[in-house]
Amino acid sequence: MAAKINNFDPPSSASSDSDGGETQADFSEVFPDVDGEEERSGDFYNTPASPITVPYCPRPPSTGSQKSPRARRQRTTSINQSSKKTAAESVLRTQHRTIYTAGRPPWYNSAGQQVEPFVIGICGGSASGKTTVAAKIIAALDMPWVTLLSMDSFYKVLNEKQHELADNNEYNFDHPDAFDFDILLLTLQRLKEGRKVEVPIYNFVTHARETRTKTMYGANVIIFEGILAFYNPKLLSMLDMKIFVDTDADIRLARRLKRDISQRGRDLDGVIKQYTKMVQPSFNHYIAPLMAHADIIVPRGGENEVAIQLIVQHVHAQLQLRGFKIREELAHSYVGQPLPDTVHLLPTTPQIRGLHTFIRNKDTPRDEFIFYSKRLIRLVIEYTLSLMAFVEKTVETPQGVLYNGKRMATDKICGVSILRAGETMEQAVCDVYKDIRIGKILIQTNFHTGEPELFYLRLPKDIKDYKVILMDATVATGAAAMMAIRVLLDHDVPEENILIVSLLMAESGVHSIAYAFPKVQIVTSAIDPEINDKFYVLPGIGNFGDRYFGTEPSEE
Amino acid sequence: MGSSDLELANNFDYQKEFGKNLKILPTNDQVKELQTILRDRNTSRSDFKFYADRLIRLVIEESLNQLPFTDCKVTTPTGATYDGLKYRSGNCGVSIVRSGEAMEQGLRDCCRSIRIGKILVESDADTHEARVVYARFPENIARRQVLLMYPIMSTGNTVAQAVNVLKEHGVKEDCIILSNLFCTPLAAKTVMDSFPKMKILTSELHPVAPNHFGQKYFGTD
Repeated sequence: MAAKINNFDPPSSASSDSDGGETQADFSEVFPDVDGEEERSGDFYNTPASPITVPYCPRPPSTGSQKSPRARRQRTTSINQSSKKTAAESVLRTQHRTIYTAGRPPWYNSAGQQVEPFVIGICGGSASGKTTVAAKIIAALDMPWVTLLSMDSFYKVLNEKQHELADNNEYNFDHPDAFDFDILLLTLQRLKEGRKVEVPIYNFVTHARETRTKTMYGANVIIFEGILAFYNPKLLSMLDMKIFVDTDADIRLARRLKRDISQRGRDLDGVIKQYTKMVQPSFNHYIAPLMAHADIIVPRGGENEVAIQLIVQHVHAQLQLRGFKIREELAHSYVGQPLPDTVHLLPTTPQIRGLHTFIRNKDTPRDEFIFYSKRLIRLVIEYTLSLMAFVEKTVETPQGVLYNGKRMATDKICGVSILRAGETMEQAVCDVYKDIRIGKILIQTNFHTGEPELFYLRLPKDIKDYKVILMDATVATGAAAMMAIRVLLDHDVPEENILIVSLLMAESGVHSIAYAFPKVQIVTSAIDPEINDKFYVLPGIGNFGDRYFGTEPSEE
Repeated sequence: MGSSDLELANNFDYQKEFGKNLKILPTNDQVKELQTILRDRNTSRSDFKFYADRLIRLVIEESLNQLPFTDCKVTTPTGATYDGLKYRSGNCGVSIVRSGEAMEQGLRDCCRSIRIGKILVESDADTHEARVVYARFPENIARRQVLLMYPIMSTGNTVAQAVNVLKEHGVKEDCIILSNLFCTPLAAKTVMDSFPKMKILTSELHPVAPNHFGQKYFGTD
């Protein structure tokens, strides 16, 4: 499916949203504004607090001529009225620490299985206020991660003749034939499966897709909006909730006039002519009848607070039914069962115990802690490499005899560290494997809910072809590790190609991971029996990252 | 997999033949790969050094397992108790010049401030007779555990001379651990027969020793 989606849009070597060679979650906060998209460029991908991913989706020039064709935009942009507020609220500063509280929460259940996201479809005439309704729903939902997909990204590529028509304002952008429903269906289907998609970026000057694409990820709630959102029956069947925004025709015309004249520099006659000739007939013929499919019809659009309240309540109830609550559930299952076959525990030699003694002792000074952790990490990584597939190989020796040896069967191995503690293991993989590629995933525990949240990810291109050594220094409940594994699976890495590698794991975490992902290999140097109520392993190491990086809170 | 079972059996036989003080690094595919790369004549020098250092690190880590330790309890940051162990102090390393020095860094990477002595043994090219021409040891070496480092043993003569010097300095035979990468059965027998209480740790017993090690590692070939 991925290949199929990618086919129509070969990756470009030019600067692109997929950033030439690596994929990344783009956390730009984006809301295309109803009244014309005010452009703001922003490269926020590593801003931790931005909750919504949306494809680049400028409005089509459905009316009038464009006097000043817009230069193509480089990044997902638009305005988000609440961006400042969100950024401030999502960061919690206590005396010595900064805690981020908005990332992507788990989008799978405690068995690691994908939970169907809730898909909301919003349909309505041009300038009816669909985007405002979407924005209000997102704001009221108070969910850290919502994906907003706009139909505007899926306009068909125009041929020369159609291009000419468009230039003369005679191409009907409001007609169903103007949309590429095949790709739209594939994209939404993939998002629903929680997978990564490449959303096309439509250039309204050239009427072609740009070589760049916009990377989007599935989320617990996906909002899909467009003038013909309910037109295709298959598409319709994917929507869990269907909202039709019903705004009076004269208000819609007034908004269009305002938008096209004041912001796009078009003349009154042209706009009105276009409206009467294309937009209005298309609305009456194609869009208005779709109202019959709607679960809810929202009159007056975004101003209708009551309707939005009702919608949000319903979505919350549905999400709870689907069960998104991970960590606590994980901490209390599978006690006392035999260890799964996929667990590879390093042989407990005196050295390993000696190293553990150093790093577990609370009185060990930091330089010793770092030194002995590194030694232990090196042993764990060496052991991990020994679990790869090998093939027999005979080599010639300088002594003139043949030697029957072995070589690793694959040279496609990459490391992925779970920030922050997993990063401490990167050096060791680089030390044992030449020129290895390293990806990073930032997962933080939400201060309030105790749930893991995904903030940032950057993975090698074609990671699906690699054996992935996924690194985290400690695994307690396994919640972060499972989220990271889920991310890899969503990037099409086969489950059996993943090894989760760690210095110390709690027994329950091992069971949770093995139960959810039976083909993932689990490598660790020690397994501890318990987890305390703060989800720390007992006897444990304490907070490995804090001790390694020296960020532990000062003692009272 | 059949061959590796066979190897295990072979190793077991070697142990029987040479006594329990000959230890072989637990073998796995990864170790085998390192050995293959080091033996391959087509390996580039930079690869050779890289993979040699990896194998050395593994051998050193395993050698340290042979050192004496005592049990101890420590308190973890979560307030729980961990039953750990503590190594005794009073260890030192001794490398046999020149190829033994290749293993010094590996030892340093594991034990930051360990004292390291050196022995230079010259062997006659024709008779393979070895004689010590230089030796410099840490003080009180007689009271220490000694990690003797020498990567390739084909006859065992060099090591035998080095051990003799150590013994002359009062080091007890059972306090010497030899860290070695490649060893021939002949060398193992020679050394074990002369010094039955000494421990040998190697990564492989094989009739042909990769004698190019020192030259390729230091780039003097």
